[in-house]
Amino acid sequence: MGQEGAAKEKAAKENRVLTGVHFMQGNYAVVEGALAAGCNFFAGYPITPANEISEGMSKRLPAVGGVFLQGEDELCSINAVAGASLAGAKAMTATASAGYDYFQEGLEYGVAVEAPMVIVDVQRCRGENFATQADIMQVHWGPAGDHEMVVLAPSSVQELFDFTVRAFNLAEEYRTPVIVLSETTIALMRERLVIPEEDKIPVVNRRWTSKTPETYLPFEAEEWGVPDFAGLGRGYHTIYSINPHDEKGSIEWDPDVFQRLYTRIPAKISKHREKISTVQHYRMDDAKTALVAYGSEVRPCLDAMTMLREGGKKVGVLKLDVPWPFPEEAVSDLGKRMDLVVTVEMNTGKYAGEIERACSGRCRTGRVTKNRGLIHSPEEILEALECMGEVS
Amino acid sequence: MTAAPQINPLRKYVREDRMPHFFCPGCGCGQVLSSFLRGVDALGLDIDKMTAVAGVGCTARIPVYIKMDTLHGVHGRTLAWATGIKLHSPDTKVVVFAGDGDAVSIGGNHFIHAARRNLDVLMIVVNNFNFAMTGGQVAPMTPPGSVTMTTPYGSGEPPFDLCALAVAAGATYVARTATSRIPQMDLAIEKGLKHSGFGVVEVLSQCPTHFGRYALGSASPAKLLDWIEGICVSRERANSMTSEQIEGKLLTGEFVHKSRPIFKGSTFIQESPSDKESAFIEGCPDKKGECRP
Amino acid sequence: MKPISIRFSGFGGQGIILSAVVLGDALVIHRGLYAAQTQSYGSEARGGQCQSELMVSEEPILTPIRASNDILVSMFQTSLDSYIGFLRRDGTLFVDSGLVADLSRVPPETTRHAVPATEIALALGNKMAANMVMLGYFAGVTKMLNLEQLDRALGENVRKEFLDLNKKAIRTGFDLSTGKNKEIAEEKAEEKAERKTEGRGR
Repeated sequence: MGQEGAAKEKAAKENRVLTGVHFMQGNYAVVEGALAAGCNFFAGYPITPANEISEGMSKRLPAVGGVFLQGEDELCSINAVAGASLAGAKAMTATASAGYDYFQEGLEYGVAVEAPMVIVDVQRCRGENFATQADIMQVHWGPAGDHEMVVLAPSSVQELFDFTVRAFNLAEEYRTPVIVLSETTIALMRERLVIPEEDKIPVVNRRWTSKTPETYLPFEAEEWGVPDFAGLGRGYHTIYSINPHDEKGSIEWDPDVFQRLYTRIPAKISKHREKISTVQHYRMDDAKTALVAYGSEVRPCLDAMTMLREGGKKVGVLKLDVPWPFPEEAVSDLGKRMDLVVTVEMNTGKYAGEIERACSGRCRTGRVTKNRGLIHSPEEILEALECMGEVS
Repeated sequence: MTAAPQINPLRKYVREDRMPHFFCPGCGCGQVLSSFLRGVDALGLDIDKMTAVAGVGCTARIPVYIKMDTLHGVHGRTLAWATGIKLHSPDTKVVVFAGDGDAVSIGGNHFIHAARRNLDVLMIVVNNFNFAMTGGQVAPMTPPGSVTMTTPYGSGEPPFDLCALAVAAGATYVARTATSRIPQMDLAIEKGLKHSGFGVVEVLSQCPTHFGRYALGSASPAKLLDWIEGICVSRERANSMTSEQIEGKLLTGEFVHKSRPIFKGSTFIQESPSDKESAFIEGCPDKKGECRP
Repeated sequence: MKPISIRFSGFGGQGIILSAVVLGDALVIHRGLYAAQTQSYGSEARGGQCQSELMVSEEPILTPIRASNDILVSMFQTSLDSYIGFLRRDGTLFVDSGLVADLSRVPPETTRHAVPATEIALALGNKMAANMVMLGYFAGVTKMLNLEQLDRALGENVRKEFLDLNKKAIRTGFDLSTGKNKEIAEEKAEEKAERKTEGRGR
């Protein structure tokens, strides 16, 4: 590398992480999080309210040696991300609800061939840019076939940055698509964002194989493990097929092979659920009523908690950083300890069903749901709780 | 003393453990596979540094038998995958194997955009005139009036001219050939492999199991090859034919072979003079910079 | 300091959102406060109703929108009519006196500031700077920020070629609020402005 090349590389490195305090829009925080995590490929198709992610990427990525692609449609974007990932890239795409519909086959492929991919879904109401959390089920169950999806639900602009970094790290560690479930509320909001120094941001890279092509088996892994990666164009002759394949990557119809594949791929995630699906407890030590929320709805829950605490009510909040894989242990624990567990979400009531299942009739449960294009106010949560009867 | 058994020198490229292959007897896909390997061998390409991309369909199974990194199994998204691979690692040579349905039915949008961008991949389209793997349904290049599994009263679907479509959309190497013309097929694929930019080689091919039986009334590969020969007219010969004589025929040969800047991304920081050139719109009257990207 | 909610409103193209962004930027980066800015606008690129809410606090902000605002800035009559109902009755109202003539729906206990922002901006050479005249005036009245802090935030958010104009606009608005160049500003604006407004203050 010449002197000029070295200078260029240094400039690109310094330009990658914008350490400091910012007043930044959520969509741009995603861009900065991706860059800080090492993203070097982005493909996206225009859609509101996710455009700032594409626009930010188109400006920032080429300046740090990455590639920006505006796909001809979402099918191109998601599959270009899969292709780039298998070629070794840290690749991302972003869209809003209607565009997410088109991602399913690309996600199904990413799951099957174990390609690290990061996908941002800025949830919006049908055709309009109002706030909602109505995609909470689709982001898990959208693609066909057995799978376990990793979905992170940030609540703030700061978390849009932090969780995007984490999404890349989880994608690389578990070789799987990871979804950042954003929302209009936070995506278009500007807030205080603190970007740490580069060496304080943990960055995980996929494990490349140290084996020779003669001994390497592309889909060989421990029981609930993740295979080592070889990538394209390096002489490992791997078939990355969506079809059922054995450890060699050969397309096989054998039921045993099929079962092995579709046990390990979801299990590599579900068996590490407690590590992946982090939760935050707010004043839960002595709480008898728990408000459970993910994404932006955590914010009014915390305001409502403070108001109820002022009135002497023992209320806490369980914040789910990662709605999928479902944080089974943390939620079923509520069933044992609480009198009342209330799910607060910005849709007609979807994830609430999972919470209620995990509490399995051991405590009273309730739902505060609405789909009016607006985040709940703390007062609305208070009113709904009053309707549920006594709150201790 | 018996002579040592002769081994096809191309076997070194083949995944022996995947044999026997799954193509029907008399299918053209095996011929295309051989022709591709002859091209790789003749040009001395390093197959370790190449990647094959295939979607879904009979054609999509071709690279599964080659010792080569391969993406397989999502219908119609071959060029989307290839775009991601090429943009991230431009040094990896990428070859797409697609059937007619994969290429321009479900994958049609990607096809025209890859051509517009001059994505640096070779796409070999095996046109067997129907969706074969799914049982013989009508496809974008099925001849008008043909009986297929979904056109029992004859096809009312006007067909695409795939090569004309590729040329119009901006592909920089476009040729049509047929499994009935092995030397020409070899030449077209070899030239496609050498080409830098978006190359399309359409190979007219026989499907004895479905299209042959339903549309042409014969499952005989030889008869189907005769039928293909009958509808093929070389571009040179077509020059001296009347439009009535050309009606219903497919022209073979090369339709375009030119050079144009290859695609590097939707936007990039221009560093070298060649980068600057690639940012200009093609056909710009003044390439020196009158016309803005 | 209790969290406060400020709503900027007007029509698309007036730089309503930019006002909120510059203010929020200056408060977060140069005063170390927390702020959350949200917005909504019509699908028209220009001319539709436009509003942006800015919450400001010493603590992290949770629910980013409030049922009622403490301060309303209205740069156009229809926006005042739409959002006056959300302003606390004893809240503070800033209007562009040249474009908001009818204050009959404003409750008597509301503190009013009528600023001939567009007129002043025109006098400065570009009516597009009206938002910054208003922001300067706003900062001077509320004492949330000084000129230096605003200038720094402007640099982060405004295109270079408009920076000088915007700085001048902010300074003019700021000085007007503190009475520094009252005469100059009022001289330029007085005819139309005074005819249309009910005057400054209560």
